[in-house]
Amino acid sequence: MKKIINLTIAATVALTLTTSLHAMDGKKDCDVKANGITKVIATANVYNDQAKKKGLEFRRLNVNNSDLIISVEEAIKTGAKEVNPKTFKGKQSKTKLETNYAAERACKFAIAALTQDQEAKTTWRLAVPGDGYKY
Amino acid sequence: MLLKIAKTTVLVALTACALNASDFNAQAEKDRLALIKYFEAKFENPEKNRNTFFPYSTDDELKNNIMGGLKHQDFALGNYAFSKNGRASYDEIKEFPPTEEWIEAGEELYNKKFANGKSFANCFPNPAETGAMYPMFDEKRKEVITSTLAINECLTSNGENKWKTTKGKLAHLQSFFAASATEEEKVVNVKIESADAAAAYENGKKYYYAQRGYLKLNCASCHVQGAGQRVRNESLSQLLGQTTHFPVYRLKWGAKNPADGLGTLERRMSGCIKDEGQVPPKNTSKEMKDLLYFMAYMSNGMKFDGPDFRK
Repeated sequence: MKKIINLTIAATVALTLTTSLHAMDGKKDCDVKANGITKVIATANVYNDQAKKKGLEFRRLNVNNSDLIISVEEAIKTGAKEVNPKTFKGKQSKTKLETNYAAERACKFAIAALTQDQEAKTTWRLAVPGDGYKY
Repeated sequence: MLLKIAKTTVLVALTACALNASDFNAQAEKDRLALIKYFEAKFENPEKNRNTFFPYSTDDELKNNIMGGLKHQDFALGNYAFSKNGRASYDEIKEFPPTEEWIEAGEELYNKKFANGKSFANCFPNPAETGAMYPMFDEKRKEVITSTLAINECLTSNGENKWKTTKGKLAHLQSFFAASATEEEKVVNVKIESADAAAAYENGKKYYYAQRGYLKLNCASCHVQGAGQRVRNESLSQLLGQTTHFPVYRLKWGAKNPADGLGTLERRMSGCIKDEGQVPPKNTSKEMKDLLYFMAYMSNGMKFDGPDFRK
């Protein structure tokens, strides 16, 4: 029964995020207290997939955001209070985070990758000498 | 009379073609000159211009470490161009460079026969030209071809397996090509001769200057605006001349196993992108190739000086 509920939440989130002009808001969408961890990690999954497709996925201390998401999903299943994600090479990382915090981070990372890319479309020239960068 | 008209028409057509060809690199050339102007201004007198260019540097660094009065060609040395301390160590190591054995290993690989009896000499008849020609834009394939890609394509077209694109044999062979180009005093001459090539350049430029990763940095944060500044005990190198000396032997890479110390430009760029907090693109992906194309164009007019070593 729990599985069905989780699946339904994940599917609803995915559908909402992909089909609507949903304004991404890391603080609001990734708040575990307000949304529940299942919904937050589903949000992370959807946005991280988009970031991966665009070549924008975050990696922190050798841990790809998708590996962080996997570790949170496993923790939800097992009820673990702490996650220890794998590195991009498949080895155990040195990163150890409280599960709710890890979910929020994974979600915020996924959203930030996309919002930064959107911002960069208008800001990147500000760093170019002879163009937007003045000294 | 008819001959005159024909001659004039041909001349006009040729001039138009030449003008069009030179137009494609107009923006890139503007960028390159602006970059040279920026770095020459930045390193003209670091102490005097500290408020503009070195707001976080200490008096001691500005007086005793960062050199001034640098001109375009000086920047080929990376951060050793301006860092007195780094330059002293560099000059000492240069007396017995750790790259010699890899150049020899590369030459052996160059001459070694494939299973089909051919060798790299069939794909790359002139090692010095090869060392100087990549990255280049292939007008037929409409994509940037890097030295790394060309070497692996040579292998596969001769029935051999691809090599690792970060270190090992591929880097050794590249070091032989680079040394040959350096010996013949070749100069970087990346060409942009079509709208597609200009688009690849723009794509690479945008990649370089767009903020990315969880640290929200762009490459320029460290290597344009941040060049010359210190991160812990390292002086950040400048974009100008960053591609002229690859492959490089890095002391960091060779710390565990000296055989792994020599690496390709792609290996270095992946490390940089990872440091920004993002998963780096694949070494022969469009993003990576366009990025290298842009960076190499910025070094146009500078002499090749690879393979070299860095910390």
